[in-house]
Formats: sequence, C-alpha cells, structure tokens
Amino acid sequence: MLVRFDFPRMFDDLLEEVSLSDFMPVNGRFPAIDLAEHANEFVAIAELPGVKKEDLKITLENDVLTLKGERKPYEIPQDARVLQNEMRVRTFSRSIQLPSEVDAKNISAELKDGMLRIVMPKSERMRARQIEIR
Amino acid sequence: MGTNGHGALERRRSGALVKRTESAERIITPVGDIYETSDAFVVKLDMPGATKESIQLNVEPGSISVRAAVGPFHAERSTILMDEIGRKSYFREFTLGQGISHNDVQAQFEDGVLTITLPKTEESKAREIKIKS
Repeated sequence: MLVRFDFPRMFDDLLEEVSLSDFMPVNGRFPAIDLAEHANEFVAIAELPGVKKEDLKITLENDVLTLKGERKPYEIPQDARVLQNEMRVRTFSRSIQLPSEVDAKNISAELKDGMLRIVMPKSERMRARQIEIR
Repeated sequence: MGTNGHGALERRRSGALVKRTESAERIITPVGDIYETSDAFVVKLDMPGATKESIQLNVEPGSISVRAAVGPFHAERSTILMDEIGRKSYFREFTLGQGISHNDVQAQFEDGVLTITLPKTEESKAREIKIKS
C-alpha cells in the first residue's frame, strides 16, 4: 500500500478551513462594528458589503443587539471562469451588548453603500437618570 | 493578481492584522473576486463605507488601481465604545495582461461592492473555429 502524505496541500486546506481572519472582524462572518455614545443615543455602524436590506435581520433582546443575515451570491454568467474567489462568506451573525437600556420602539436603521447605521435612543429611564446626576 | 494562497495571506497581513495607531493611516486591501467571461474580465471588491464619489479608479495600460478613504462615521463629540472600523483607506492594485481594452473599462458601485468590467480587445476574445469536413 502506498500512502502519500500531501503536506503542503494539507497545510493549505487547514489554512483555508481555520484561517485567523475567520475570527477577525474584516472577514465578514462576524461583521466589524463601531459603537458610539452620544448624550441621548447610541449609534452603531456595521460593515455589510453586498447585503440587501431584505436579507438582514436586526433584533434587540435584553440590551443585546444582534445582526444576522445572509449575503446572497451575485449573478455570474454561465460561461464565466472564476479566477479569484475571496468573498466566500455567505451567512453572518454578530451580537453586541449595549452599555445601557435603549428605547426599542424608536430604533432606526439604514443600510447604504454596504454600511449599516443603527441609531438607538437611550430609554426615558436612562435619560432621566442622566439628568438626575447633573 | 494574487490568485494563490500567498495573496490571501498577504491580505490578512495587510488588512486584518495591521496595528492601529492614530498617526499611521490604516490601509486595507479590499477582499476581491475575479471572473472571466468570453468578452471581459470582471473584478469585484468589497469596499463598505466608500461612496461613488470617494473611489478613485486609475486605469493605465498594464495596471489598474483602486483607492478610497472612508470614515470617520461618528460625530466628533461622541464617545467611541467599540472601534473596529474607524477611519481607513482601501487600496488594491492589479496587473493587467495583454489584450485588455483599457479605454473601455467600466465601473459600478452598489451595496458597498465595486464592480470593474475590463473588456477584452477584439483580438484577444476567444473565437470558435469551425472545423471543415
């Protein structure tokens, strides 16, 4: 019996399967997020290139904001030959804990140029508390 | 054109693992796909946050380069709690082989994805050869 250990290929496969970038925000499986706090609201932005509005679901549960969805593959002519394929991520999901309670009813979101922007007003209670401190 | 694993690794090095400092500008190599059809090469690049106006596409005989500065996305006075995107620039360059009609290059930007169509010259298009009996 002839056993051939194909080391370079195995290593390559391993790199493809468990690359460090899979755990990095830029990869897309876990979209990169920025979160900023303003006096009366939180603003989150997330990178979602190639994602359509209808394929994105935003949920809020116990101050945890979750973005979940799918990047649908783009159309490619039947006779096309793929030369380079780096956009492999299809489904993505990311949850972040918000630092304080937000007014869930008044959250607004806009998806433009591959960038999602979510504006989350702080809840009345949190705003009231802020005023008390002053 | 970075079609091998090496290119991917380089991408990680220049993109994901780059250290972020205030003084140095972060330059990200956008992730890209390339495919070839009978009459063109099509390059797609993920450039979330860029805009049609911010993208500079340079086409020269033999090379094509794309750059765009993105951000900042937050008002100056805001307190940043999570900072994974920030300000950055995208840059990627491709070497073009012979047979591309570089004067007819077209580009389109949609949902944060730049699509560049590089038409082949008439001479370089595949021709079907009829076999005479």
